[in-house]
Amino acid sequence: MAIILGAGIIVKLVLLLLLSFSVVSWGIILFKFFQVQRAKSESERFMDFFWKSKRFDAIASQVDRFANSPLTVLFNEGYNELKKVVETDSKSDGSALSTDLGGVENVSRALRRATNSEITRLEKYLTFLATTGSTSPFIGLFGTVWGIMTAFEGIGKTGSASLAVVAPGIAEALIATAIGLVAAIPAVMAYNHFQHKIRVLINEMDSFTTEFLNIVQRNIAGK
Amino acid sequence: MSAKPLRIDTGMGVSFIASAVIHMAVFLLLVWWGQLYPSQMAIQETYYVDIVNLPVANPQSGSSAQKPGEAESAPPLAQPPPMAKPSPSKSVPKVGTKLVKPAAPQESVESESAFAERMAKMERNSEARREEAVLEKLRSRVKTGSSAKIGTPGANGTESGSRYGDFIKSRLEDALKVTSYSTTKKPEVAIRLFISADGKLLRMKMERSSGDVAFELAVRRAIDLASEKFTAPPNHAVYENGFLFKPKGISNGTSR
Repeated sequence: MAIILGAGIIVKLVLLLLLSFSVVSWGIILFKFFQVQRAKSESERFMDFFWKSKRFDAIASQVDRFANSPLTVLFNEGYNELKKVVETDSKSDGSALSTDLGGVENVSRALRRATNSEITRLEKYLTFLATTGSTSPFIGLFGTVWGIMTAFEGIGKTGSASLAVVAPGIAEALIATAIGLVAAIPAVMAYNHFQHKIRVLINEMDSFTTEFLNIVQRNIAGK
Repeated sequence: MSAKPLRIDTGMGVSFIASAVIHMAVFLLLVWWGQLYPSQMAIQETYYVDIVNLPVANPQSGSSAQKPGEAESAPPLAQPPPMAKPSPSKSVPKVGTKLVKPAAPQESVESESAFAERMAKMERNSEARREEAVLEKLRSRVKTGSSAKIGTPGANGTESGSRYGDFIKSRLEDALKVTSYSTTKKPEVAIRLFISADGKLLRMKMERSSGDVAFELAVRRAIDLASEKFTAPPNHAVYENGFLFKPKGISNGTSR
């Protein structure tokens, strides 16, 4: 505590900046942790429910139970697009879908768009973790360099270079690097962890898209 | 036309608050830990050693002044006796050869013990000088007479120029500071004290009561406490004096 209070104004500002980085990083870590956990567990439950159900409209009526799953969003988008295609088809002569499969392409595009929006949502704020992880040690190092410069200036003025004179200044300076590392290490670890989890969810979304399109194509082609 | 979004992500504010709380908790933990186990980074007291005048066995031993191949030099030799005509039977000691010859381990042990003995002797001399200085100071105080103690805590009121009544008053005031209590009132108690020729409190007579029982009790306790420090009056007769006790101090009455 005395080390922080005894530091210079620049070092104190650096420490304040690093502290704010750390607070925001941990806020994002907590938020992302619960978001990804909810997405994962509800996706598993949704897939069970999806494969047990026989009809899309029955699934559509129950999607609110799995609101945090990205697959639900995909299903919703795909189902809505499919409904539109079927409505358009019923207004026309009824042979368009079975011949050129243009409606399946529409559903595929809708699913791709939903996938992208879900990836964006899941990866939101992760850039801050990456920024914190990469820049905090350097910001801390800047504080340390500044503190050592100030300490050496003081040593030059006093004219004494004993350990008792040099050590406190160096200790005050090094605290900035320590805080920088304290902010950076959890941020980097969390960033890697969430990247892995989100990649798994993206794979699940791709698999679901493929399955959904297969079902649509099978049913439409079977008409 | 896109579908209506199913949800809106919430909980960011709660996460930030939780993060701030975690940081605060860690900070308080560190502060508590720092108080529990204070830092050992205390500045060591610096001792300056007069290496010029300090007698050492081997001044150059282990220092950069000693050359790598140079043998360890012997301790300084004792001063030879005054120049005298050498007797033919005695051979002159070869000092030069002794210096060049490397010191044997036995000699080294002897030199170390001699060094330790010399250091102990110096310390004893220093201690003796310090004691002598203190004694000298005490002697000079005794010589200057007792007038130097007037007005000092060691005075007993019998010194020339001092008043015994003031001495008693001073002791009572000191005691009253211990026994007194804070009050918003302004009580005044007049008490006459009788002190025997050998300095003992014979009796006390309350001449005027204040009506404040607590204050009067405090005054009585103060008198009892102060009476332990009373000394014999200067004329070796019974001393009698009235004192006016107030919470802020004591004023002298007339002595008989």
